[in-house]
Amino acid sequence: MGTQVKDVVIKPEAPNTLLLDKHADYIAAYGSKKDDYEYTLSEYLRMSGIYWGLTVMDLMGQLSRMNREEIIEFIKSCQHDCGGISASTGHDPHLLYTLSAVQILSLYDSINVIDVDKVVDYVKGLQQEDGSFAGDKWGEIDTRFSFCAVATLALLGKLDVINMDKAVGFVLSCMNFDGGFGCRPGSESHAGQIYCCTGFLSITGQLHKVNADLLGWWLCERQLPSGGLNGRPEKLPDVCYSWWVLASLKIIGRIHWIDKAKLRSFILACQDEETGGFADRPGDMVSSLWNCHIQFCICIYILHVISLGLAILYTELIILCGTFLPVLYISIQVDPFHTLFGVAGLSLLGDEQIKPVNPVFCMPEDVLQRIGLQPDLLN
Amino acid sequence: MHGRVKIKSTAQQEEEKRKEKEKKLKAFVSARDAVLKKRSAGEHDEEALQLTRQLLSSNPDFATLWNYRREVLLHLETLREKDEVQKLYESELHFIEACLKVNPKSYGCWHHRTWVNTRLPQPDWTRELGLCDRCLSLDERNFHCWDYRRVVVKASGVSVEQELQFTDRLIGSNFSNYSSWHYRSTLLPQLHPQPAPDSAPNTKYELSHNAFFTDPNDQSAWFYYRWLLGRAEREEMISCVYVSREGERVSVAFSKPLCKVYNMYSLFIHTLMHKIFNCLCQLCDLPPGSISDMSNEHNLTIHWTEKHTHRDCNLDDLHVCVCICGRSELSVEKSSVLQAELQSCNQLLELEPQNKWCLLTIILLMRALDPLGHEKETLAHFQTLKEVDPMRSTYYSDLCSKFLIENTILKMEYAEVRVFSLSNKNLTTLCHLDQLLFVTHINLSSNQLLRLPPHFAMLQCLEVLEADDNAIENLEGLYHLPKLEEVSLRNNRILFSKKSKCFIRNCFSGVKSQCLVWPCFKDSVFFIN
Repeated sequence: MGTQVKDVVIKPEAPNTLLLDKHADYIAAYGSKKDDYEYTLSEYLRMSGIYWGLTVMDLMGQLSRMNREEIIEFIKSCQHDCGGISASTGHDPHLLYTLSAVQILSLYDSINVIDVDKVVDYVKGLQQEDGSFAGDKWGEIDTRFSFCAVATLALLGKLDVINMDKAVGFVLSCMNFDGGFGCRPGSESHAGQIYCCTGFLSITGQLHKVNADLLGWWLCERQLPSGGLNGRPEKLPDVCYSWWVLASLKIIGRIHWIDKAKLRSFILACQDEETGGFADRPGDMVSSLWNCHIQFCICIYILHVISLGLAILYTELIILCGTFLPVLYISIQVDPFHTLFGVAGLSLLGDEQIKPVNPVFCMPEDVLQRIGLQPDLLN
Repeated sequence: MHGRVKIKSTAQQEEEKRKEKEKKLKAFVSARDAVLKKRSAGEHDEEALQLTRQLLSSNPDFATLWNYRREVLLHLETLREKDEVQKLYESELHFIEACLKVNPKSYGCWHHRTWVNTRLPQPDWTRELGLCDRCLSLDERNFHCWDYRRVVVKASGVSVEQELQFTDRLIGSNFSNYSSWHYRSTLLPQLHPQPAPDSAPNTKYELSHNAFFTDPNDQSAWFYYRWLLGRAEREEMISCVYVSREGERVSVAFSKPLCKVYNMYSLFIHTLMHKIFNCLCQLCDLPPGSISDMSNEHNLTIHWTEKHTHRDCNLDDLHVCVCICGRSELSVEKSSVLQAELQSCNQLLELEPQNKWCLLTIILLMRALDPLGHEKETLAHFQTLKEVDPMRSTYYSDLCSKFLIENTILKMEYAEVRVFSLSNKNLTTLCHLDQLLFVTHINLSSNQLLRLPPHFAMLQCLEVLEADDNAIENLEGLYHLPKLEEVSLRNNRILFSKKSKCFIRNCFSGVKSQCLVWPCFKDSVFFIN
């Protein structure tokens, strides 16, 4: 009896063409119903939610459908005295949302509506003795925050304010036996963290410190028989890893180690043809009954914590794992997060209907060109 | 009939769901508004704890609420005696544990627990370790819990041996244990820091070996094993030194780009020191005249101070010295251990001929033992690998190319003409160019190369390049080769950029003193942009 391969099965009826217009409609309408349950519960990450929505719209050439003025005013109201920016009004500032805000303002070429110097001070102030970055004044350390810090400063043209040697030293101290990176020194490799660390090393010009062959192997082993990518060994595939794994591979020059056609099929299968948007996995709207007269209905409300720790999404998922009962999906729910990463992943795979996306910043390349940022990638 | 659940009609189900959500939403919004109002009023009291408790139990990622809670707790600390503070935070730990039961993967929860332990007058690390044990028994892959465990272990001084035993137990339970193997990889070097290349404690292979023999599809053990195999390999910093007394030239090729220099590193030649200021370059040309005063010297030593490494060179009659890093020799002991491992893996392969992990591991073992002797077998295994694991064929092709290049370097002879020839070998990538500094002739024809990468510029002695019948698009690698005389690039896919056209024009116009033969033009497939 061997270990079962955790994976999904893509049904033949799953979507296999890109439904860009539907996705644009979905995002444009998202958040307009402010009394939506999931929307309200995700207020604690609103700034990132806006960044996801705007970025995917821009990648689809539909940014103009979003309410620029309202968003800019919103961002202004979220900058605190310390310089940091919060996810929403009344929430506390944090590096995660400071980065999202700066990314949004970069998209809109309106960076000066906030106090940039104070943002820089805020970021600088979060660097610790050992070079790491805390997420906020409460001291949680994570390589995600190292990435947020340098990405923010790079977009503002102020990378020189931090102690670069130490910052790099800390991130490298999080490199593991498999070539990957974790949250902190000693933490297990995880695709989300690997994205943050390779992105960090790209921005700081230290990509040559990565063992690209070893890490590239670990990353290409994320691809499962369904074509989808997981975030670490023995986990289910998820469309957001199509971004984090793929972007990391692109950064280290090994994107050709993925089976692109299979991944594309997987991503497309994650679309919802009715509502638009992408879910984390391929879905099926109808519950089918099994021919053995037994209806198993195990409803598990799984709180899906996305690797960047930014969202809890309610996913109604019914899983029957086992030798005889394949995975059965009932309704799955789309969200802007997975929509962005599905579309961005397709862009990295070369889909010409989508604007080229920068693998380090997850922003349209033309925005970064305008700013003058071209972070290194390995060959 | 047991287990039958009534599935209501879709419309009815939808309406009920909608009403339920509306109710929940109302409750959430009113609680949230109450809390935020209280906070802006600066109230740090029990009621604040109650309200945030309510919300955080089902919304543990609402980070601002944890912050508020901490502010309240810090304030209450100032009002209470030490033993009350102890109780206060212990009750907080109970609350966090309840939250963790609902959502064991909330960053906010785990961080708050870490924070609470910094405030507790008397933290109970045994209890915390127990919590980790329980949590990991429910989900062995919960990295939040593993990270927290590392905090607890560090704070309470649990020994490395004890933790290794813990991983043994978990690995022994034979189920989704990558996290345990990972933990081992951090613990082992604490007990046995960087082993010498010839050391062979064979017990270190045993655990992973047993794991993948018990379950050949348990990928974690194979990943770990690959690490063990590579662990004792030492990567040389200096790949190659080329000295030409006549040409007054000293070139040093490094295996990796030099660090972005915030400090200065030094390269010593003999006793003369040369400071290196370059960032990110892999090839250092020393200024002409660096060795002019050494006409009577026959030995040359290059020291690189960053890694305290050096290379010794003997200047021969030709006044050209070439030295490259060789492979470290395996001790008899290590060799026999690896041989036994190879044998076992081959036995496993007989039982599981389609097991890609086994195939790849056999390749790696053969390379460790005798790369040249096993070359044919290695190529056959790579072919099988591409068949059983087609999604990763490009990876296997690149890896195979790398090994072929390594073998060719091993077989190279050093004379006045130094030839590197790898034609018709399905090469998909080029690497180790730092070790080809002194090569004069290269034949890469009939392969699947897409480019001559910028690192091709390392081939400073290259006189003749044959690379017909590839898919090369880009000539960038050729721009900085001072000795290049002959190039053949028939049947490629060269995209002529402005720069490449200029390069070719200069060659033909005789700006470069060498004569450049370019027989490829009429036969090439090219696109002009």
